[in-house]
Amino acid sequence: MTRLRRAGLAPERGPLAVAAEGSGGLRLVALDPEARALGLRVGEPLGRVRARIGVPLQVYPADPEADRDALLRLCRWASGYAPLVAPFGPGEAADGLYIDVAGASQLRGGEANLVADLAARLARSSVPAGIALADTPGGAFALARHGGGDRVVVPPGGAPEALRALPVDALRLDPGTVAGLKRLGLRRIGELDALPRGPLARRFGAALLLRLDQALARRPEPLAPLTEAAAYAAARGFLDPIGRQADIVRTVRDLMAETAPRLERDGLGACALRLSLHRVDGALRVLDLGLSRPERCPERVATLVSLRLDRLGSALDAGFGFETVALAVTVTGPMPARQTDLGAASAADGVGVLADALAQRLGRALLRLEPRASHLPERADRSRVWVAGEGQGEGSGPAGRGATASHGGGVLDPDASRPSPRPSPAREGGPGALLDQGRCSTPMGATSRTGMEGKARTRASPWPEDLPPRPLVIFPRGEAALDVLSTVPEGPPRRFRWRARIHRVTHAEGPERIAAEWWREPGADRDYYRIECEAGHRLWLYRDGPHAPDRPAAWYVHGLFA
Amino acid sequence: MGLDPADETEAALAPSDPRARLAALRVRLAPPDRGRDPSPVLPLGVSDLDAHLPGGGLVLGPPHEIAPAEPADAIAALGFALALCARHLARAPGEALIAAAPGQPLPYGHGLAGLGLDPGRLLLLEAGSDAEVFRALEAALHARALTALIGLLRDGLPLKPGRRLQLAAEGPAPPLLLILRPAPASLPNGAATRWRIAAAPAARDRFGTLDRPRWRARLDRCRNGRGGDWLVEWDHAAHRLHLPEPLAGDAAAAGGSRA
Repeated sequence: MTRLRRAGLAPERGPLAVAAEGSGGLRLVALDPEARALGLRVGEPLGRVRARIGVPLQVYPADPEADRDALLRLCRWASGYAPLVAPFGPGEAADGLYIDVAGASQLRGGEANLVADLAARLARSSVPAGIALADTPGGAFALARHGGGDRVVVPPGGAPEALRALPVDALRLDPGTVAGLKRLGLRRIGELDALPRGPLARRFGAALLLRLDQALARRPEPLAPLTEAAAYAAARGFLDPIGRQADIVRTVRDLMAETAPRLERDGLGACALRLSLHRVDGALRVLDLGLSRPERCPERVATLVSLRLDRLGSALDAGFGFETVALAVTVTGPMPARQTDLGAASAADGVGVLADALAQRLGRALLRLEPRASHLPERADRSRVWVAGEGQGEGSGPAGRGATASHGGGVLDPDASRPSPRPSPAREGGPGALLDQGRCSTPMGATSRTGMEGKARTRASPWPEDLPPRPLVIFPRGEAALDVLSTVPEGPPRRFRWRARIHRVTHAEGPERIAAEWWREPGADRDYYRIECEAGHRLWLYRDGPHAPDRPAAWYVHGLFA
Repeated sequence: MGLDPADETEAALAPSDPRARLAALRVRLAPPDRGRDPSPVLPLGVSDLDAHLPGGGLVLGPPHEIAPAEPADAIAALGFALALCARHLARAPGEALIAAAPGQPLPYGHGLAGLGLDPGRLLLLEAGSDAEVFRALEAALHARALTALIGLLRDGLPLKPGRRLQLAAEGPAPPLLLILRPAPASLPNGAATRWRIAAAPAARDRFGTLDRPRWRARLDRCRNGRGGDWLVEWDHAAHRLHLPEPLAGDAAAAGGSRA
């Protein structure tokens, strides 16, 4: 009704009603206040109404589609208040919306001010609204529709008290349940809440208790937020459902070819794509694809989808086939038009293609080792997800090493003091390394060359060059060497047992003392020795802490040399 | 455009130098699938080793299998593979990829400098299984974007994936492909060479400290070549392998122990 008036389709004055096809002909589905003042009620047959009242009544056909669109527009507008906005579903008469203002109200000067502001702006746009703010969506709904006021703000924890006196209709129940409750004399929510739950559930089903609990904040109620429609998307429906991988891939290529000109016009490329496959039986499969660089080539996207489907195999249960395939670009990145080389693509491009292919085919990312400013060997490097355009590429051959005159190997970056849950999250690889990306510290003071500077192909390596020799493989934690025979108080081991073998030391170099990082956690200094044993294996051992007469020295094998 | 192969052969036969004649005969007798161009190789820089390898070096493209002589030599084998990789990276632009099966030791960034390998030119992939390593290597071979590929396997290279890798490597500008497998399992596969690496006492510098790593490298099997057994020494600054001089070595290398 408001939609009709705002669109100028209906006069500003005079009783107004909206009718729709119901049982036994047209029935009223919505009334304006003037029509309600004439004694009309929702659900009355239109013919009887026309006969009963003497004044002219404007009647318009109902248009649920347009109502839905108008509600979504209102939702988008309301998302200026808080990001999480959800329209009412069909069970809530689809004529309102929820705004989750948790954490957002202080931006408007408190909850009361927010509600006042919302009401004022709605009134200015001549949208009549009842507004309520409560702990739960269910409570807010009840107060807004049945609270008897245009603006209700319930303080935190006050919802049960405020809802007690409201009628049971406010609980978003289906009409049959409401009628049954009223027949039993249960008219108020408070009366209903006082009853034992078991018989209620048996008589009216679990839905009643669910709605009651949701309103009284005893059970969480997730909102289905309005998702932003993707700006670049294409979909295709099929009369005959498709199920073969080749068909899906071909469809994706066509959809991307449809989207690509729009992306190209705006100078954008897709960084992330979402492929939605709607199965005939209503199930929805969603595949999210991430790309290492902005991309709009249909062939390449199709290849990635094909690799992804390869990996899924039968896990992508096509059932009786997919009837709709939709491709949406969820994240875009700038991709200016480039003049392509006539020759082969550059190597960095090739690595990007490979990285994308591996990510889709195996679900694993390419990693790159990166130095970190720490004296502790196990913390001094980490693996980081490879990002296109970074790194030293083909420009820096090994000749580039040694070009650095000085470096900050001895200067500890204060950033290294940030707390770390494990001794070396990165070296333990996998998910830890993935989580670590994005908050990487700048390595090694003066010689740090990452990000933009890395692109500039500086020849300096971020790795310190005057470190004493380091092993080729290092253990996340030192492995205990047992039965160590060594000179006291200071000296290299002569013989020890490690991994169930006796190692006799023929040559030892050291010690190299590495102090614990006192700002992170207390620990003893370590004396590292590089030793070679009879068989020719070279190991890196350390003694944990200084020698003490009353305590045998603890020795650990920390790494292996090539 | 190209010359007729017969002309080339005739021209090569003309000189009376027996070596040239022999080389020409080799070309003539070479299996037909080799094609006209000799495959690109990575010379090891030691004439004694290169003489055993067809084409004078490790053929780029088909897999080369490197295995430790016994489980304790796994790091020595990894060092040998990374040294070969460093040598190739020093001669060709591009990056290297290490695809590792779970449980295989990944190199430590600060330790790579000791082998002359720039960690900035190394990409890592932590695969979930040997099969994933094969898939990754195959994808990398098809992409032709990387210069060197190293696969660290948990179980070994069976015949079928080996053959697939060989097929994927065919074509122009193949990368160096090294497969590291653990000591026990020795499966027949399509590897061009099979090496067994054992640790050996390192070379000492003139102060008697550990200097260059040494390995005992045994060439078990080599297609169109001969096997052999050498003690090799890796010079990380020059990116080349040496055979330690039997006489000019310093006293410490001769077996002296200071400790």
